[in-house]
Amino acid sequence: MKSAERFFACRADEVPPGGRVLREIDGKSVGVFNVAGKFFALHNRCPHKGGALCLGPVTGTNVSSDDFRYVYSRQGRVIRCAWHGWEFELESGRALADPTVRAKTFPVVVEEGNVYLMI
Amino acid sequence: MKNGVSLIDCDVHNSWADSRELLPFLDPYFRDFLERGELPGGRGSFPHAHRPWLHPEGFMRTDAFPPDGGPPGSSYEFLREQLLDRYDVEYAILTGDEAIEVSTLANPRLASALASAANDWTIETWLARDSRLRASLVVAPQDPEGAVAEIHRRGEHPGFVQVLVSTGSQRPYGDPCYHPIWAAAAEVGLPIAAHLGGQGGVNSNPTGCGPPTFFLEAHALLCETGMGHVASLICHGVFERWPGLRFVLIEAGVAWLPAILWRLDADYKALRKETPWLKMLPSEYAAKHIRLSTQPLEQPKDTRQLWNVLETIDGEHTLLYASDYPHWDFDDPTLLHLPPAWKERIFSENARELYGLPARAEVALAR
Repeated sequence: MKSAERFFACRADEVPPGGRVLREIDGKSVGVFNVAGKFFALHNRCPHKGGALCLGPVTGTNVSSDDFRYVYSRQGRVIRCAWHGWEFELESGRALADPTVRAKTFPVVVEEGNVYLMI
Repeated sequence: MKNGVSLIDCDVHNSWADSRELLPFLDPYFRDFLERGELPGGRGSFPHAHRPWLHPEGFMRTDAFPPDGGPPGSSYEFLREQLLDRYDVEYAILTGDEAIEVSTLANPRLASALASAANDWTIETWLARDSRLRASLVVAPQDPEGAVAEIHRRGEHPGFVQVLVSTGSQRPYGDPCYHPIWAAAAEVGLPIAAHLGGQGGVNSNPTGCGPPTFFLEAHALLCETGMGHVASLICHGVFERWPGLRFVLIEAGVAWLPAILWRLDADYKALRKETPWLKMLPSEYAAKHIRLSTQPLEQPKDTRQLWNVLETIDGEHTLLYASDYPHWDFDDPTLLHLPPAWKERIFSENARELYGLPARAEVALAR
């Protein structure tokens, strides 16, 4: 397997908390997200049907509940694919409906106000 | 059965010859309905609202009228001869005939009183006569309070192996208005069964686009209410609330189930936030909690096409043989095309496990 290379993605101040940018990096479309000051990067390709995952809304969701009530949580930490609405954790890329399904994530390094991705 | 396979028939219709057989089991106020009240088919008929599409030939097997002149299913001796002895039935699960039609009545108290009377009549008239018989405790789903009371009153009688409602209903059965009934069933350890019927009166149309015209349409589409109940029970988390509960769908067809489960599983992936109490895929709840009776089994020209479909729902372990005696679409167990390797499970062992029925050999040894 090819070892990861470091690519410049954007300036950190281009992506305020709750914001995102889309970049073409190493031939891939990648979304960079700022979740309350922490940066995460996802391949803009949904593992479900290859849809535009990073163009969907960043939301919260009803988390798994044991008492048959709605518990809305994870505000700003869930992305919902633009095509079919599957929900993924921005941080891990895991699908909420099936944690064995994961969107591709890339490690992020922030140095001197620059956001780099390991791809 | 004669070929050595045990046979448990999960849908056998026993009937009264005249609704006045229920009089000893009714309080005076409700007796009036049978003695002087308005009845849909004259004195002796059973109070219920009828569906507006009618079988053009009557829905009974025409050879099933007993010699005493009563309606099919009304003579124990004739039922024994035509079904129990002829096919060497190990157990027959009685589902009554008109009793589930109480769900069509506007007056929930009358509905529950008639259901209770039918249950007591079943104990005296049928269960007492043959150790091969088991029965279904009929309740009126439009009266949850009455249904719960009936389950507490009679649910622990050893002859009753399930709580029975009609597939015709005012709302799909996952709806919280019915939860007290399912809680009571779970408490006494009985599966819930829904049998085709109750389509008329206060209940919704059996097809979402409006009422069918012909019996042909209504009967071919008998799956539609089953689809609604299956989806509703799963999505409302009924099987999360009562993890021991089983749901038995009787006479609603089977080949449609894989498609509905495929759709539910796919949509759940996107829409799980509506039902965050679900811990498994809808198809996994179905495999664990839902059982379907075979009759009337779909009949493609090439039987293997059906077998392939049924394999996707693990038909070997989820289907229950049913004859529907004495109705016109009776499935003869000796003529039913099922994968040979599945027959033992479908003809007897799935039902034996579901209903906790002792093997005949064990019963004989205990004597």
